[in-house]
Amino acid sequence: MELYKEYIPQLVTAFTGSLGFAMLFHVRRQKLLLASLGGLLAWSVYLLMGRFSDQDVVRYFVASVVLTVYAELMARRVKCPATLFLVTAAVPLIPGGSLYHTMEYFMESELEAFSRQGLNTVLLAVAIAVGMLFPTSIFQLLRRSGRMGR
Amino acid sequence: MDIQSSLPSPGPEQHLARLEAEEQANERLYKVLDIGQAMLQSGAEVSRVEDSLRRICLAYGAERADVFTITSNIMVTMYSRQYGALTQIRRVAGQQYDLHRLELLNLLCRRICAEGLTLEETERALDAIRDEPQYSFPVQLLTFALISASFSLFFGGSALDALASGAIGAVLKVMDQAIRRTEANAFLSALLCSCLGGLLAALSVRIGLGENVDTISIGNIMLLIPGIALTNSLRDMFSGNTISGLMRFIEAVLLALVIACGFALVAGLL
Repeated sequence: MELYKEYIPQLVTAFTGSLGFAMLFHVRRQKLLLASLGGLLAWSVYLLMGRFSDQDVVRYFVASVVLTVYAELMARRVKCPATLFLVTAAVPLIPGGSLYHTMEYFMESELEAFSRQGLNTVLLAVAIAVGMLFPTSIFQLLRRSGRMGR
Repeated sequence: MDIQSSLPSPGPEQHLARLEAEEQANERLYKVLDIGQAMLQSGAEVSRVEDSLRRICLAYGAERADVFTITSNIMVTMYSRQYGALTQIRRVAGQQYDLHRLELLNLLCRRICAEGLTLEETERALDAIRDEPQYSFPVQLLTFALISASFSLFFGGSALDALASGAIGAVLKVMDQAIRRTEANAFLSALLCSCLGGLLAALSVRIGLGENVDTISIGNIMLLIPGIALTNSLRDMFSGNTISGLMRFIEAVLLALVIACGFALVAGLL
Protein backbone atom coordinates (compact mmCIF):
# COMPACT_ATOMS: atom_id res chain seq x y z
CA MET A 1 0.00 0.00 0.00
CA GLU A 2 2.82 2.33 0.96
CA LEU A 3 4.38 1.82 -2.43
CA TYR A 4 1.26 2.87 -4.31
CA LYS A 5 1.21 6.16 -2.46
CA GLU A 6 4.64 6.81 -3.83
CA TYR A 7 4.08 5.42 -7.32
CA ILE A 8 0.79 7.00 -8.29
CA PRO A 9 1.90 10.64 -8.03
CA GLN A 10 5.04 9.75 -9.98
CA LEU A 11 3.05 8.07 -12.75
CA VAL A 12 0.56 10.92 -12.97
CA THR A 13 3.32 13.54 -13.12
CA ALA A 14 5.30 11.49 -15.65
CA PHE A 15 2.19 11.75 -17.83
CA THR A 16 1.66 15.49 -17.27
CA GLY A 17 5.39 16.22 -17.54
CA SER A 18 5.56 14.54 -20.96
CA LEU A 19 2.39 16.36 -21.95
CA GLY A 20 4.04 19.64 -20.97
CA PHE A 21 7.15 18.97 -23.03
CA ALA A 22 5.07 17.78 -25.99
CA MET A 23 3.22 21.12 -25.88
CA LEU A 24 6.49 23.00 -25.44
CA PHE A 25 7.72 21.35 -28.64
CA HIS A 26 4.48 22.18 -30.47
CA VAL A 27 3.13 18.66 -30.88
CA ARG A 28 -0.50 18.70 -32.04
CA ARG A 29 -3.82 17.05 -31.18
CA GLN A 30 -4.00 13.26 -30.85
CA LYS A 31 -0.22 13.03 -30.86
CA LEU A 32 -0.16 14.97 -27.59
CA LEU A 33 -2.05 12.12 -25.93
CA LEU A 34 0.18 9.46 -27.52
CA ALA A 35 3.33 11.28 -26.40
CA SER A 36 2.09 11.66 -22.81
CA LEU A 37 1.05 8.00 -22.69
CA GLY A 38 4.59 7.19 -23.85
CA GLY A 39 5.97 9.08 -20.84
CA LEU A 40 3.62 7.16 -18.56
CA LEU A 41 4.68 3.87 -20.17
CA ALA A 42 8.39 4.67 -19.82
CA TRP A 43 8.11 5.46 -16.12
CA SER A 44 5.87 2.42 -15.47
CA VAL A 45 8.48 0.16 -17.01
CA TYR A 46 11.17 1.86 -14.94
CA LEU A 47 9.20 1.28 -11.73
CA LEU A 48 8.27 -2.27 -12.72
CA MET A 49 11.91 -3.11 -13.43
CA GLY A 50 12.64 -2.19 -9.82
CA ARG A 51 11.29 -5.65 -8.92
CA PHE A 52 13.92 -7.39 -11.03
CA SER A 53 16.95 -5.21 -10.66
CA ASP A 54 18.24 -2.54 -8.32
CA GLN A 55 20.69 -1.29 -10.94
CA ASP A 56 19.49 2.04 -12.28
CA VAL A 57 21.35 1.58 -15.54
CA VAL A 58 19.46 -1.66 -16.26
CA ARG A 59 16.11 -0.11 -15.36
CA TYR A 60 16.69 2.93 -17.58
CA PHE A 61 17.94 0.76 -20.43
CA VAL A 62 14.88 -1.51 -20.44
CA ALA A 63 12.50 1.43 -20.08
CA SER A 64 14.18 3.14 -23.02
CA VAL A 65 13.97 0.00 -25.21
CA VAL A 66 10.24 -0.41 -24.49
CA LEU A 67 9.64 3.28 -25.08
CA THR A 68 11.42 3.22 -28.44
CA VAL A 69 9.40 0.23 -29.65
CA TYR A 70 6.27 2.14 -28.60
CA ALA A 71 7.45 5.28 -30.41
CA GLU A 72 8.24 3.39 -33.63
CA LEU A 73 4.89 1.57 -33.59
CA MET A 74 2.96 4.78 -32.97
CA ALA A 75 4.96 6.58 -35.65
CA ARG A 76 3.87 3.96 -38.18
CA ARG A 77 0.29 4.20 -36.96
CA VAL A 78 -0.12 7.97 -37.27
CA LYS A 79 2.53 8.41 -39.99
CA CYS A 80 5.04 10.81 -38.49
CA PRO A 81 8.72 10.66 -37.46
CA ALA A 82 9.35 8.50 -34.39
CA THR A 83 11.48 11.34 -32.97
CA LEU A 84 8.27 13.15 -32.15
CA PHE A 85 7.40 10.54 -29.53
CA LEU A 86 10.95 9.65 -28.54
CA VAL A 87 11.97 13.16 -27.51
CA THR A 88 8.80 13.96 -25.58
CA ALA A 89 8.05 10.62 -23.93
CA ALA A 90 11.64 10.11 -22.77
CA VAL A 91 11.40 13.22 -20.59
CA PRO A 92 10.66 11.39 -17.30
CA LEU A 93 13.74 9.22 -17.92
CA ILE A 94 16.07 12.07 -18.93
CA PRO A 95 18.68 12.55 -16.19
CA GLY A 96 18.08 16.30 -15.89
CA GLY A 97 18.07 16.31 -12.11
CA SER A 98 21.23 14.23 -12.03
CA LEU A 99 22.95 16.54 -14.53
CA TYR A 100 22.02 19.53 -12.39
CA HIS A 101 23.35 17.96 -9.19
CA THR A 102 26.61 17.12 -11.00
CA MET A 103 27.16 20.75 -11.83
CA GLU A 104 26.02 21.80 -8.38
CA TYR A 105 28.78 19.67 -6.83
CA PHE A 106 31.24 21.18 -9.28
CA MET A 107 30.23 24.68 -8.21
CA GLU A 108 30.68 23.74 -4.56
CA SER A 109 34.04 22.20 -5.50
CA GLU A 110 33.12 18.86 -3.93
CA LEU A 111 35.16 17.04 -6.48
CA GLU A 112 34.60 13.50 -5.28
CA ALA A 113 30.81 13.87 -5.27
CA PHE A 114 31.10 15.65 -8.63
CA SER A 115 32.95 12.81 -10.32
CA ARG A 116 30.61 10.19 -8.85
CA GLN A 117 27.47 12.09 -9.87
CA GLY A 118 28.94 13.03 -13.24
CA LEU A 119 29.77 9.42 -14.06
CA ASN A 120 26.26 8.44 -12.98
CA THR A 121 24.68 11.06 -15.23
CA VAL A 122 26.69 10.02 -18.27
CA LEU A 123 26.01 6.34 -17.59
CA LEU A 124 22.26 6.93 -17.43
CA ALA A 125 22.34 8.99 -20.61
CA VAL A 126 24.34 6.22 -22.30
CA ALA A 127 21.86 3.58 -21.09
CA ILE A 128 18.96 5.58 -22.54
CA ALA A 129 20.76 6.37 -25.81
CA VAL A 130 21.86 2.77 -26.40
CA GLY A 131 18.40 1.56 -25.42
CA MET A 132 16.97 3.77 -28.16
CA LEU A 133 19.57 2.62 -30.67
CA PHE A 134 18.63 -1.07 -30.83
CA PRO A 135 14.91 -0.84 -31.66
CA THR A 136 15.55 2.08 -34.04
CA SER A 137 18.08 0.05 -36.06
CA ILE A 138 15.82 -3.01 -36.14
CA PHE A 139 12.86 -0.97 -37.37
CA GLN A 140 15.11 0.61 -40.00
CA LEU A 141 16.13 -2.83 -41.23
CA LEU A 142 12.50 -3.93 -41.37
CA ARG A 143 11.58 -0.82 -43.34
CA ARG A 144 14.39 -1.38 -45.81
CA SER A 145 13.61 -5.07 -46.35
CA GLY A 146 9.92 -4.18 -46.73
CA ARG A 147 10.80 -1.74 -49.50
CA MET A 148 12.90 -4.34 -51.28
CA GLY A 149 10.14 -6.92 -51.07
CA ARG A 150 7.74 -4.70 -52.96
CA MET B 1 35.47 8.63 -64.76
CA ASP B 2 36.87 12.04 -65.53
CA ILE B 3 34.31 14.81 -65.11
CA GLN B 4 35.65 16.85 -68.01
CA SER B 5 35.48 14.04 -70.57
CA SER B 6 31.91 13.19 -69.65
CA LEU B 7 30.68 16.70 -70.41
CA PRO B 8 29.40 17.58 -73.89
CA SER B 9 32.08 19.02 -76.13
CA PRO B 10 32.11 22.81 -75.82
CA GLY B 11 30.24 24.54 -78.62
CA PRO B 12 28.44 27.85 -78.12
CA GLU B 13 24.96 26.25 -78.00
CA GLN B 14 25.96 23.45 -75.68
CA HIS B 15 27.72 25.97 -73.53
CA LEU B 16 24.53 28.00 -73.24
CA ALA B 17 22.45 24.91 -72.45
CA ARG B 18 24.92 23.93 -69.80
CA LEU B 19 24.82 27.35 -68.20
CA GLU B 20 21.04 27.19 -68.13
CA ALA B 21 21.04 23.75 -66.55
CA GLU B 22 23.59 24.93 -64.02
CA GLU B 23 21.50 27.94 -63.08
CA GLN B 24 18.39 25.83 -62.65
CA ALA B 25 20.22 23.24 -60.57
CA ASN B 26 21.71 25.95 -58.37
CA GLU B 27 18.24 27.30 -57.68
CA ARG B 28 17.04 23.82 -56.75
CA LEU B 29 20.05 23.24 -54.57
CA TYR B 30 19.29 26.48 -52.73
CA LYS B 31 15.75 25.21 -52.05
CA VAL B 32 17.14 21.87 -50.87
CA LEU B 33 19.26 23.73 -48.33
CA ASP B 34 16.23 25.75 -47.25
CA ILE B 35 14.46 22.51 -46.43
CA GLY B 36 17.51 21.14 -44.64
CA GLN B 37 17.91 24.30 -42.59
CA ALA B 38 14.25 24.25 -41.57
CA MET B 39 14.55 20.59 -40.57
CA LEU B 40 17.67 21.12 -38.48
CA GLN B 41 16.20 24.17 -36.78
CA SER B 42 13.02 22.38 -35.83
CA GLY B 43 15.01 19.60 -34.18
CA ALA B 44 15.63 16.87 -36.75
CA GLU B 45 18.47 14.41 -36.16
CA VAL B 46 21.54 14.94 -38.32
CA SER B 47 21.16 11.53 -39.97
CA ARG B 48 17.55 12.31 -40.94
CA VAL B 49 18.58 15.60 -42.56
CA GLU B 50 21.39 13.95 -44.52
CA ASP B 51 19.17 11.15 -45.75
CA SER B 52 16.25 13.42 -46.70
CA LEU B 53 18.40 15.95 -48.56
CA ARG B 54 20.16 13.24 -50.53
CA ARG B 55 16.84 11.80 -51.65
CA ILE B 56 15.49 15.21 -52.65
CA CYS B 57 18.61 15.96 -54.71
CA LEU B 58 18.17 12.68 -56.56
CA ALA B 59 14.47 13.46 -57.09
CA TYR B 60 15.55 16.83 -58.52
CA GLY B 61 17.55 15.07 -61.20
CA ALA B 62 21.04 14.78 -59.73
CA GLU B 63 22.89 11.60 -60.63
CA ARG B 64 24.78 11.70 -57.42
CA ALA B 65 24.42 13.73 -54.23
CA ASP B 66 26.71 14.03 -51.23
CA VAL B 67 25.41 15.62 -48.07
CA PHE B 68 27.39 16.37 -44.94
CA THR B 69 25.63 17.91 -41.98
CA ILE B 70 26.58 18.90 -38.48
CA THR B 71 24.26 20.72 -36.09
CA SER B 72 25.37 24.15 -37.30
CA ASN B 73 26.21 23.57 -40.94
CA ILE B 74 24.94 21.81 -44.07
CA MET B 75 27.01 21.08 -47.17
CA VAL B 76 25.54 19.57 -50.31
CA THR B 77 27.15 18.66 -53.62
CA MET B 78 24.92 17.67 -56.53
CA TYR B 79 26.46 16.06 -59.58
CA SER B 80 25.00 15.55 -63.02
CA ARG B 81 26.48 15.18 -66.48
CA GLN B 82 24.40 18.17 -67.60
CA TYR B 83 25.96 20.68 -65.27
CA GLY B 84 28.87 19.02 -63.49
CA ALA B 85 29.33 19.29 -59.73
CA LEU B 86 27.59 22.06 -57.79
CA THR B 87 28.17 22.75 -54.11
CA GLN B 88 26.42 25.00 -51.64
CA ILE B 89 27.01 25.50 -47.94
CA ARG B 90 24.51 26.75 -45.39
CA ARG B 91 25.36 28.00 -41.92
CA VAL B 92 22.54 27.12 -39.54
CA ALA B 93 22.14 29.01 -36.28
CA GLY B 94 19.75 28.40 -33.46
CA GLN B 95 17.72 25.30 -32.83
CA GLN B 96 14.24 25.34 -31.38
CA TYR B 97 12.24 22.15 -31.14
CA ASP B 98 9.06 22.35 -33.18
CA LEU B 99 8.03 18.77 -33.76
CA HIS B 100 4.87 19.71 -35.62
CA ARG B 101 6.92 21.60 -38.19
CA LEU B 102 9.39 18.71 -38.39
CA GLU B 103 6.52 16.34 -39.13
CA LEU B 104 5.26 18.60 -41.96
CA LEU B 105 8.77 18.96 -43.40
CA ASN B 106 9.17 15.21 -43.37
CA LEU B 107 5.91 14.88 -45.29
CA LEU B 108 7.07 17.51 -47.77
CA CYS B 109 10.28 15.55 -48.41
CA ARG B 110 8.27 12.44 -49.13
CA ARG B 111 5.99 14.33 -51.49
CA ILE B 112 8.94 15.79 -53.40
CA CYS B 113 10.41 12.34 -53.87
CA ALA B 114 7.14 10.55 -54.67
CA GLU B 115 5.24 13.15 -56.69
CA GLY B 116 8.12 15.15 -58.11
CA LEU B 117 6.93 18.60 -57.00
CA THR B 118 8.16 21.54 -59.08
CA LEU B 119 10.31 24.24 -57.56
CA GLU B 120 7.36 26.63 -57.24
CA GLU B 121 5.19 24.02 -55.56
CA THR B 122 7.98 23.21 -53.13
CA GLU B 123 8.46 26.86 -52.32
CA ARG B 124 4.75 27.35 -51.68
CA ALA B 125 4.61 24.29 -49.44
CA LEU B 126 7.68 25.46 -47.52
CA ASP B 127 6.17 28.90 -46.99
CA ALA B 128 2.95 27.31 -45.75
CA ILE B 129 4.94 25.27 -43.23
CA ARG B 130 6.77 28.39 -42.04
CA ASP B 131 3.45 30.18 -41.55
CA GLU B 132 1.94 27.29 -39.61
CA PRO B 133 0.81 28.78 -36.27
CA GLN B 134 2.51 27.75 -33.03
CA TYR B 135 0.82 27.56 -29.64
CA SER B 136 -0.29 30.98 -28.43
CA PHE B 137 1.54 32.81 -25.65
CA PRO B 138 -1.04 32.05 -22.90
CA VAL B 139 -0.89 28.35 -23.78
CA GLN B 140 2.91 28.51 -23.60
CA LEU B 141 2.68 30.12 -20.16
CA LEU B 142 0.45 27.28 -19.08
CA THR B 143 2.92 24.78 -20.57
CA PHE B 144 5.82 26.17 -18.54
CA ALA B 145 3.68 26.09 -15.40
CA LEU B 146 2.53 22.52 -16.12
CA ILE B 147 6.09 21.24 -16.62
CA SER B 148 7.41 22.95 -13.47
CA ALA B 149 4.54 21.78 -11.28
CA SER B 150 4.73 18.23 -12.65
CA PHE B 151 8.43 17.79 -11.99
CA SER B 152 8.24 19.43 -8.59
CA LEU B 153 5.75 16.71 -7.61
CA PHE B 154 7.66 14.05 -9.54
CA PHE B 155 10.77 14.67 -7.42
CA GLY B 156 8.78 14.47 -4.20
CA GLY B 157 7.54 18.02 -3.63
CA SER B 158 4.32 18.83 -1.79
CA ALA B 159 1.21 20.26 -3.48
CA LEU B 160 2.18 23.73 -2.23
CA ASP B 161 5.68 23.34 -3.70
CA ALA B 162 4.15 22.37 -7.02
CA LEU B 163 1.95 25.45 -6.97
CA ALA B 164 4.92 27.73 -6.28
CA SER B 165 7.03 26.00 -8.91
CA GLY B 166 4.25 26.33 -11.48
CA ALA B 167 3.87 30.05 -10.80
CA ILE B 168 7.62 30.59 -11.08
CA GLY B 169 7.63 28.58 -14.30
CA ALA B 170 5.14 31.02 -15.83
CA VAL B 171 7.27 33.98 -14.74
CA LEU B 172 10.34 32.35 -16.32
CA LYS B 173 8.47 32.07 -19.62
CA VAL B 174 7.81 35.82 -19.57
CA MET B 175 11.48 36.44 -18.80
CA ASP B 176 12.57 34.02 -21.52
CA GLN B 177 10.37 35.77 -24.06
CA ALA B 178 11.76 39.19 -23.09
CA ILE B 179 15.37 37.99 -23.34
CA ARG B 180 14.77 36.23 -26.63
CA ARG B 181 13.62 39.49 -28.16
CA THR B 182 17.04 41.02 -27.50
CA GLU B 183 18.73 38.01 -29.16
CA ALA B 184 21.14 37.70 -26.26
CA ASN B 185 23.68 34.90 -25.93
CA ALA B 186 22.01 31.58 -24.98
CA PHE B 187 24.26 31.14 -21.95
CA LEU B 188 23.50 34.63 -20.66
CA SER B 189 19.78 34.04 -20.92
CA ALA B 190 20.13 30.69 -19.09
CA LEU B 191 22.10 32.43 -16.34
CA LEU B 192 19.49 35.16 -15.92
CA CYS B 193 16.60 32.67 -15.94
CA SER B 194 18.23 30.42 -13.35
CA CYS B 195 19.12 33.41 -11.12
CA LEU B 196 15.53 34.59 -11.24
CA GLY B 197 14.26 31.03 -10.63
CA GLY B 198 16.45 30.60 -7.56
CA LEU B 199 15.48 34.01 -6.22
CA LEU B 200 11.75 33.45 -6.62
CA ALA B 201 11.98 29.95 -5.08
CA ALA B 202 13.67 31.36 -1.96
CA LEU B 203 11.18 34.21 -1.80
CA SER B 204 8.13 31.98 -2.11
CA VAL B 205 9.29 29.82 0.80
CA ARG B 206 9.82 32.94 2.86
CA ILE B 207 6.30 34.22 2.27
CA GLY B 208 4.88 30.76 2.94
CA LEU B 209 3.95 29.74 -0.58
CA GLY B 210 5.83 26.46 -0.81
CA GLU B 211 7.80 24.52 1.78
CA ASN B 212 11.09 23.40 0.33
CA VAL B 213 13.36 25.47 -1.91
CA ASP B 214 14.96 22.39 -3.48
CA THR B 215 11.75 20.71 -4.62
CA ILE B 216 10.41 24.02 -5.94
CA SER B 217 13.63 24.68 -7.84
CA ILE B 218 13.88 21.23 -9.41
CA GLY B 219 10.64 21.84 -11.32
CA ASN B 220 12.10 25.01 -12.82
CA ILE B 221 15.48 23.38 -13.39
CA MET B 222 13.84 20.68 -15.54
CA LEU B 223 12.58 23.49 -17.78
CA LEU B 224 16.04 24.92 -18.29
CA ILE B 225 18.42 21.97 -18.03
CA PRO B 226 19.45 20.43 -21.38
CA GLY B 227 18.74 16.81 -20.44
CA ILE B 228 17.19 16.03 -23.80
CA ALA B 229 20.18 17.56 -25.60
CA LEU B 230 22.56 15.44 -23.50
CA THR B 231 20.75 12.21 -24.35
CA ASN B 232 20.41 13.14 -28.01
CA SER B 233 24.10 14.00 -28.20
CA LEU B 234 24.94 10.46 -27.13
CA ARG B 235 22.44 9.08 -29.63
CA ASP B 236 24.18 11.11 -32.34
CA MET B 237 27.57 9.74 -31.36
CA PHE B 238 26.37 6.14 -31.25
CA SER B 239 24.80 6.45 -34.68
CA GLY B 240 28.08 7.61 -36.19
CA ASN B 241 27.70 11.41 -36.15
CA THR B 242 30.55 11.95 -33.76
CA ILE B 243 31.21 15.62 -34.43
CA SER B 244 27.59 16.71 -34.04
CA GLY B 245 27.30 14.58 -30.94
CA LEU B 246 30.40 16.08 -29.35
CA MET B 247 29.26 19.62 -30.13
CA ARG B 248 25.89 19.02 -28.51
CA PHE B 249 27.44 17.21 -25.58
CA ILE B 250 29.78 20.08 -24.75
CA GLU B 251 26.98 22.61 -25.25
CA ALA B 252 24.73 20.67 -22.86
CA VAL B 253 27.43 20.38 -20.19
CA LEU B 254 28.31 24.08 -20.40
CA LEU B 255 24.66 25.09 -20.25
CA ALA B 256 24.08 22.86 -17.21
CA LEU B 257 27.11 24.43 -15.58
CA VAL B 258 25.78 27.95 -16.18
CA ILE B 259 22.37 27.01 -14.78
CA ALA B 260 23.89 25.47 -11.65
CA CYS B 261 26.01 28.60 -11.36
CA GLY B 262 22.88 30.79 -11.51
CA PHE B 263 21.07 28.88 -8.77
CA ALA B 264 24.22 28.69 -6.64
CA LEU B 265 24.84 32.44 -6.96
CA VAL B 266 21.42 33.25 -5.56
CA ALA B 267 21.67 30.65 -2.80
CA GLY B 268 25.03 32.12 -1.81
CA LEU B 269 23.66 35.66 -1.67
CA LEU B 270 20.57 34.92 0.43
